[in-house]
Amino acid sequence: MDVIRRIPRDVRPAWLFCGVGVVVTGMYFLLQRGATSQSVLYDVIGVTSALAIAAGVRLNGPASPLPWLLFALGNLLFAVADILFNIFVNPATPSSADYFYLAGYVFLVAGLVLLLVHAGGHHRVPALGEALIVTLAFALFQWVFLMAPLVRGEGSVAHRAVLTAYPAADTLLLAGLAGFFVTAAWRTVSFQLLVGSLAALLVADEVYGLDRNAYSNGSWIDGMWLLSYVLWATAALHPSMRELSEPRRVRRARVSRWRIGLLVAALMTAPTVLLVQWIRDAPLEVPAVVAAAALISGIVMLRLSGILRALERLRLRERAARGEALAAQAALAERNIRLVEADQLKDEFVALISHDLRTPLTSIMGYIELALDPDEEAPLDDEHRRYLEIVSRNSERLLHLVDNLLFVARVRAGKLVLNLNELDLGELAAEAVQAARPNAERAGLTLSLESNGPTLVEADHARLLTLLENLISNAIKFTPRDGSIDVRAFGSTSGATLEVSDTGIGLAPGEAELVFDRFFRSRNAMERQISGTGLGLFIARSIVEAHGGKISAANRDGGGTTFRIELPLRAASQPASDTAELVA
Amino acid sequence: MTAPLVVVAEDDEDILLLVATRLGRDGFDVLEAREGRQALELVRERQPVVAVIDVGMPGLDGLELTRQIRADESVRGTLVVLLTARAQEADVRLGFDAGADLYIRKPFSPTKLSTSVRELMKRKIGSG
Repeated sequence: MDVIRRIPRDVRPAWLFCGVGVVVTGMYFLLQRGATSQSVLYDVIGVTSALAIAAGVRLNGPASPLPWLLFALGNLLFAVADILFNIFVNPATPSSADYFYLAGYVFLVAGLVLLLVHAGGHHRVPALGEALIVTLAFALFQWVFLMAPLVRGEGSVAHRAVLTAYPAADTLLLAGLAGFFVTAAWRTVSFQLLVGSLAALLVADEVYGLDRNAYSNGSWIDGMWLLSYVLWATAALHPSMRELSEPRRVRRARVSRWRIGLLVAALMTAPTVLLVQWIRDAPLEVPAVVAAAALISGIVMLRLSGILRALERLRLRERAARGEALAAQAALAERNIRLVEADQLKDEFVALISHDLRTPLTSIMGYIELALDPDEEAPLDDEHRRYLEIVSRNSERLLHLVDNLLFVARVRAGKLVLNLNELDLGELAAEAVQAARPNAERAGLTLSLESNGPTLVEADHARLLTLLENLISNAIKFTPRDGSIDVRAFGSTSGATLEVSDTGIGLAPGEAELVFDRFFRSRNAMERQISGTGLGLFIARSIVEAHGGKISAANRDGGGTTFRIELPLRAASQPASDTAELVA
Repeated sequence: MTAPLVVVAEDDEDILLLVATRLGRDGFDVLEAREGRQALELVRERQPVVAVIDVGMPGLDGLELTRQIRADESVRGTLVVLLTARAQEADVRLGFDAGADLYIRKPFSPTKLSTSVRELMKRKIGSG
């Protein structure tokens, strides 16, 4: 539907016509009242407007031009009637003018009904019901105040029939308007102009009908009729007229104040009419009032029950939707719990497996040791010794992995406990460097240590050693031959800092934060097919955080990585736990 | 000087042989037990200096065995070395609470186990 609205169209012809039309209508009242020039101007406005409607159809090319052509014809018939009326100067009823006028109404009503059908309004039964209520109420007014007196009045049957036909035609016009209004397609400018035009026409007709003897050419009522012509033509010239016959997606019926007010007003019609007639001491028109009241009440009741049913449907749908939302929420919570449980189960499983791997490892490593025992009665030859040394080294690797898995499982279960003692960080670093030196030398790397004297901290010696060994062995793993690894330990008044820098492959952008995640493997490591489990740095972070410290990684200027650990002088022991990560 | 007597209680045949071989080579007289009750009987009968006990045995487990040795007037002086695959803080505390003198985590170096047993014996002689 937006596609229709977006088409840019020229609105200038419509507003130009409207402006000129209003100005000319103003000029009508400047001319001498009752003069021929005034009558001619009136007729010119009427005919021009009728032709403008036809021009609007040609200009805007609506999908269904017929309703608008009927409008043009209806207005043209009015204009012809005006001319006849002016030629014969207030002719006696029934005159030829009357026939043209009445025929005009028929075409206008037909046009409105067609427009309504094109917009799909005939499918909207509730809205049509409301239009019918309004029409019935209006019809009651028309009958009691206009038609009944005419029917019972003086004059020939033809005279009375024609006079009565006007309010009847107006009732039909109002029915069309009401139907068009409540089922309405689009509330566009053209729609508003059309409604304005019809309203002006109806008001003028009603005032004229209530006291036709008070009318003479040049009265303000003429202004209303002229305005009706001009607005109708403007509506036809406005580009938005195209959309009036486009079907619109039906919106859900709403119980607006406007609707309830309409129904109440409809119910009040019959009593009001009775009251007015009683005050005027006029005939009460009991059959008409009773018939109208019964019909209106019946339709109002139908409408009300329709509204109640719609409300009930709405309520049921809402309840169903709320039920679904609750169920979905519960399912999600359930799944979350399952995920946490599965995660815990996995950790427990890993812990169990790690324990069970220790028993076979005891045999593997123990017997290798026995076999390599130099005091053995039949010593191994060098080749077999070398084989067993390889098995031994790989058993160590396997044990390391098992230890790491167990450590991670323990951290995740919140069971990491620190054994805190005062220690010298410089000494600890020296110990770690000492242990790693053989590996570094094998890899062709320079390993250096720098520290600024004793740096005393309260920490878990074994854990910090694991931490430093992890970082240094990482650095060895990721640094190509002839590179260097620098370990620094220095203290300040607020804390202690450990740094492990290398000239290795460095981190890919955005990885500095991620490297400490469990099972994370850096892109550079994967590309170079450097093996690993992605546990070492997770363990490092867990140890640092358990001490209340911070660890960070950054690329070093000129290539390589620097890991920096900041520890408080006194460890604020806090269990490093990740178990809450899924729950949160 | 006679070889010191050691009871090794371990349900895993391979580890039992490993420990027995190492200790035997290092000059110990080794008695083997494959489950807790048998080990307790051996300890009571032969009154070894040291009992090397695996924690995770079926039937009478290592911790309970240790408690019973400590509760028995005639053998409570036996040195107890516990071997275990579980070596978290809580496990170690349980072991010492039961009355173990040493707690060794699997996998262990047989040579180091042997050395530790020797040291334990020396300390005991030194202290009493």
